[in-house]
Amino acid sequence: MFGYLIKRSLRWSSGILLVLFFSYAMMFYGAGDPIKRMFVDLREGSTSVDEAMIEKIRVSYGLDQPFPVQFANYLGKLMQGDMGYSIREQRDVMTMVRKRLPISMQLGLVATVLGALIGVPLGVVAALNHNRRLDALIVSVIVFINALPIFVTGPLLLVFLVLVLKIIDVPFGWKGIFDSQVILPVTVLALGPLPSIVRMTRIGMLEVMGNDYIRTARAKGLPERTVILRHMLRPVLIPVVTSLGLIMITLVNGAIFVELIFNIPGFGKLTLQGLQQVDYPIIMTVVFVGTIIVMVSNLLVDFVYPLLDPRITRD
Amino acid sequence: MLVKEGISVESESSSSVIMMKAVGKEGSLWGAGFRRLRRNRLAVFGLLLVLIFFVTAIVGPAVAPYDFLSQSIDEAMRGPSALHWFGTDALGRDIFSRILYGARTAALVALTTTAISLLIGIALGCLAGFLQGWVDEFVMWITDIVMSLPSLLLAILVNTALKRPVAMWFGQMYIQTGNPVFLNVLWLDYVLVFGALALIGWAGYARLIRGQVLSIGRTLYVDAARSLGANTGRIIGRHIVPNAIGPVIVAVTQGMGAAIVAESSLSFLGIGVQPPNASWGSMLSDGLLLWRTFPHLMVIPAVTIGVIQIGFIFLGDGLNDALNPRQ
Repeated sequence: MFGYLIKRSLRWSSGILLVLFFSYAMMFYGAGDPIKRMFVDLREGSTSVDEAMIEKIRVSYGLDQPFPVQFANYLGKLMQGDMGYSIREQRDVMTMVRKRLPISMQLGLVATVLGALIGVPLGVVAALNHNRRLDALIVSVIVFINALPIFVTGPLLLVFLVLVLKIIDVPFGWKGIFDSQVILPVTVLALGPLPSIVRMTRIGMLEVMGNDYIRTARAKGLPERTVILRHMLRPVLIPVVTSLGLIMITLVNGAIFVELIFNIPGFGKLTLQGLQQVDYPIIMTVVFVGTIIVMVSNLLVDFVYPLLDPRITRD
Repeated sequence: MLVKEGISVESESSSSVIMMKAVGKEGSLWGAGFRRLRRNRLAVFGLLLVLIFFVTAIVGPAVAPYDFLSQSIDEAMRGPSALHWFGTDALGRDIFSRILYGARTAALVALTTTAISLLIGIALGCLAGFLQGWVDEFVMWITDIVMSLPSLLLAILVNTALKRPVAMWFGQMYIQTGNPVFLNVLWLDYVLVFGALALIGWAGYARLIRGQVLSIGRTLYVDAARSLGANTGRIIGRHIVPNAIGPVIVAVTQGMGAAIVAESSLSFLGIGVQPPNASWGSMLSDGLLLWRTFPHLMVIPAVTIGVIQIGFIFLGDGLNDALNPRQ
């Protein structure tokens, strides 16, 4: 058990390190001299800053050091929560993340809960009606939702609800998670993980339904509800819970589009800002934080998995 | 010994000839697969959409009613009409022509990124599957990490980081060769998109191909072929490739759909294929600014991306049922 946890921790932390190394190398060799870029960016094409001055600043930031030293310095600073300064805004990137990330986290959390609350019952209903019309309907709707990317469904829903049905006003901006404006963004965001939740629940249910212990449960006179909730759903939900890593990927990717479409000042919007202004410290931080979120949820799943399914650590 | 080997190879091939003949009564394996595909109405529908997509990509710009670049302020922001089937955009460009031209962008990106990622995937997957041991562990470690990353962020990182070096390299190549290809900003966008998408796309193929190599390598018929004296080349060519190709074709079909979506998502965010070149993604994000008054600007590219994507998904699912009947 202990060895298993160590092994999984090593796997995901080495992954984070690999991503950090890769992204740092990309920026180091791809982005060019950050100090020079700072001045060129501030005054377009200006040569008023002389070389000696630039060199001085470069040395003061440790940018004259070779790649391994700079990378080690970067890691050291990262450990202390220092993610560098935004080139354009001259602000601490960490503060920006701390302000923006909670907004996206709230949206993501509500979207996950919504996805599970809709997806699991849909999967159960589809499995209970296996090979009937309702099953076919649910499966085909899920195929469509899965096929359409979020930046297609979002705009289409907007046009449909605002212009065709005229039942809502344009949701725009951020007024807190309890404001009714979040309904549409959260719904669109929840469409990302929904198909895999429904599919996994449905397939799991179909596998479990034929088992002997289900027949036993029915034979001893348990009400159908108890059979479904306690005997079928429990083993089925394990793979759903363990796909948290995948769910997080769809949420991190989805946040970028949803926050662009609905103009929500969250983590995704920060990503866009870094992207549009070619602000490398922001891009690096965003990649780092996104990776951490996904890797930590993977690690969490690995830690919880043995508790849900004791068979896993036996080999 | 030599003679013995010759005989055994002979007998091995003749046994497979008998097998082929037995199968041949009901048509070949591929014929059976094709018939299963034809019976699947959704798959045929998907195939039709995919064919329309590729034909449009080839002939679309030639048959487009207008030049996809020609602007006219008088005609700007028109809704769909007989003159402009899908209306015009903010610069008065014909949206139908731009959609047709965008199909070429999407097809080019889909084919190239799928080809690059498939090649990397085949190389690494075969390496891992055949050598096993620490090579396998290492390749699978990287594959797992790439597959468990927020792929869009990685594509953004690669795209922004490589922009400057690739632009500089383009400049140098132009100075050295004088070839006007290297002055074209369009190709710069394409190279960046290919690089970013191939980088996140190869991992799925590598994992699939490694799995195929490992599982087919363990089957009894490969054991039989080996014990009958077939060499590695023959085992790969006659046994592993024909049996592994079905799932790979399915993965390639789905991968192409995914590559189209990935390209439009990058263009949507403003880092993929940039205007004035037509990309469905950038058309969609242009429409986002004015959708309340001119919803057609946003709806048309969105529906186009959705329809093509559904075509690839249906075809992929149909191929999966047709080519992998054992599942």
